[in-house]
Amino acid sequence: MALSIRNDAQSRRGLLTWYRSGGLSAIFFALPLVLIFLYFSWGPIVRGLVLSFQKNNLVTTPEWVGWSNFSYVLADPQLPQATLNTLYFAVLALIFGFPVPLFLAVFISELRTTGWLYNVLSYLPAVVPPVAAILLWKFFYDPSGTGVFNTILGWFGIDPLSWLNSPNLAMPAIVLEATWAGAGATAIIYLAALTGVRTELYEAAELDGAGIWSRVWHVTLPQIRGIILIMMLLQLIGTFQVFTEPFLFTGGGPDNATTTILLLIYRYAFINGDFGAATALSVLLAGVLCVLSVVYHFLTRRWSTT
Amino acid sequence: MTRTARCAAALTSAALLLTAAACADGTTPAADSGGAVDQSAPVTITIGDRPTPDKPNDIAAFDRNVKKFMTENPNITVKSTETKWDAQTFQAQVAGGSLPTVMNISFTEPANMIPNKQLPDITDELKLVDLTKDLNPQTLKIVQDDAGRIYGVPIDVFSVGLAYNRALFTQAGLDPDKPPANWDEVRQYAKQITEKTGKAGYAQLTKDNTGGWMLTTMTYSLGGTVQSQDGKKSTFNDAPTKKALQLLKDMRWTDNAMGSNFLYNQEEIRQDFAAGKIGMVLQAPDAYDMAVKNFGMKPADYGHGALPQDGGPHGTLTGGSLKMINPKASKNEIVAALKWIKSQDFDKYTNEQLAVQNAKETIADKGFVGRPGITPLSQATYDQYNKWREPYSNVPVKQFQGYIDSTTSLKLLPEPSNKGQEVYALLDPVVQQVLTKKDADIDKLLTDAASKIDARLAR
Repeated sequence: MALSIRNDAQSRRGLLTWYRSGGLSAIFFALPLVLIFLYFSWGPIVRGLVLSFQKNNLVTTPEWVGWSNFSYVLADPQLPQATLNTLYFAVLALIFGFPVPLFLAVFISELRTTGWLYNVLSYLPAVVPPVAAILLWKFFYDPSGTGVFNTILGWFGIDPLSWLNSPNLAMPAIVLEATWAGAGATAIIYLAALTGVRTELYEAAELDGAGIWSRVWHVTLPQIRGIILIMMLLQLIGTFQVFTEPFLFTGGGPDNATTTILLLIYRYAFINGDFGAATALSVLLAGVLCVLSVVYHFLTRRWSTT
Repeated sequence: MTRTARCAAALTSAALLLTAAACADGTTPAADSGGAVDQSAPVTITIGDRPTPDKPNDIAAFDRNVKKFMTENPNITVKSTETKWDAQTFQAQVAGGSLPTVMNISFTEPANMIPNKQLPDITDELKLVDLTKDLNPQTLKIVQDDAGRIYGVPIDVFSVGLAYNRALFTQAGLDPDKPPANWDEVRQYAKQITEKTGKAGYAQLTKDNTGGWMLTTMTYSLGGTVQSQDGKKSTFNDAPTKKALQLLKDMRWTDNAMGSNFLYNQEEIRQDFAAGKIGMVLQAPDAYDMAVKNFGMKPADYGHGALPQDGGPHGTLTGGSLKMINPKASKNEIVAALKWIKSQDFDKYTNEQLAVQNAKETIADKGFVGRPGITPLSQATYDQYNKWREPYSNVPVKQFQGYIDSTTSLKLLPEPSNKGQEVYALLDPVVQQVLTKKDADIDKLLTDAASKIDARLAR
């Protein structure tokens, strides 16, 4: 009893102090921001969720259709291929795209004097607007013998490749460009993490006679593994949402070889005007990514630094 | 739910229903539709498609036209907006009732809008302003219902033909004044061009829905259709489309005459065509403008023939734009709007001074005078108009002779009326596979595509 009275008085006093120290004005200050955040950040998400259960072309009155949008997109014969293509892109990006920025960052950090120059050079692709970069690469990928890459291959006596025009080569070609475009920005993040590695560790390793490779393997990588794990998750989520590259390079072709899930969503919405189906597939994708993130979290908990 | 809440909910939904009903009502012609037309009563109309601020010359000309029109018709007040047709937003504008009195829309719209009562019947008013007799009966069909009533005014028409590079023709030992007339010749010419010049003899649009669009065009030229009359079923899974695809397959894999790029959209193919990398490509004649103006093609190298046919003249795919009038417009507003359309889009065809002035302005704006097209008017009127403008022509019209002849001899076949763009999108990969996979099975491709498209048409 006595305890609860004291608690009551305490909380009342706490409320009073909070009020006197301007707690209310803090709320008034934060409220518009919170509301704007809710409306513009979460509003569309909730609206998307609602839309996925409607037949809605944004013109006529929406009509509730239950799960029929979901069953429609799940039964779409194009979905399996789009899913496989997206997974293929993710795997290729993981195998080829993931190590590149890491390597770049370690390499740059090892350079004591001219590091800034490599820094600038590696970050430059990130400055080029994606659309411009893709148009430029399209030029490189010109399938005729006079295309830039094909000319280079020609120097080594290799026949011209059809790059984006081949169902087998199109996806790897897109991954190559995406890696080029994304490596610089990711490398900067790794570089920032590398500056946090204590130099004593390197000195100690050097005293023990460790060469550069063994320093990287035994000191650098373990020290930044937290960042590496986070970047890997971000990349996974990012690759599942790949759109710009296939849209501009190939339009999903040839023969749907580069049709990704997001491209399918785009077609539902903007070619078919079927916003219900588009949001239903988006919701499904978001669900899969959530599950993936949770699974990833539990799988990597053992190695995580936090 | 409490009683008050339930009451409020019921009231709200009733209000919503009423609003919806009012909206639905608004799309049918307005109240005075039975009344007589008073051509001198004061009336205000709003005109869409005002040029955007980045085109000062066009704005000046537009304002001049409005002023002149208002002086000649003192009872009519003209306001203008920049509203223009966009497939993504147009239906929302129609539903929202925010359309101007007059604006340009695409030929793909009336087929769905006329039965939905989203366009007013303007047949009688057209007679009042003396426009009907001039309109081209072939293109007029696009804005007519089964009873022959008219719901819009076609102003700009294109049809697909065959653009070809005259310089490559000459290099390959072909006569640049004789474009191929049938598909067998196309194949033979393409082969010859590739053998003699190393360039792609023939190239095909394949992506961003243009693959399906051009496969439809080829199907038409071979006597086929893509969609049933009522738009409920696909009809391309038969001989003409198969023949079209087999032809592409032969040119690609047997003759190796189609170059190495099989992912082309409209702009990309025009660019390569202008650069002399392509001998022949299916295009509407407006390709000339972009090829010459944007991509620097030599006018002397450009040729345009008829759409090649096979097994008789079947026809060619046609599209274009028309002036629509707001379904809520009163009779007086409709007449005022038609007067405006006549003065803007038709008087130049019948008034020599206007035709000449118009030509001079186009040249001053670095445009093209005399590029052949399809007339929205009767052929006689169009010929007269072209004669007046001949001295100012800056387009090598003779190089379009094959196409010009076809504009009167070939039937104009409209695009698929139901979900045309969706159908095109699903046909893109069919064309792409035939061009990128040597063992592509045409029968299976078409059967698969048909089942996908029928599911979409039924949804």
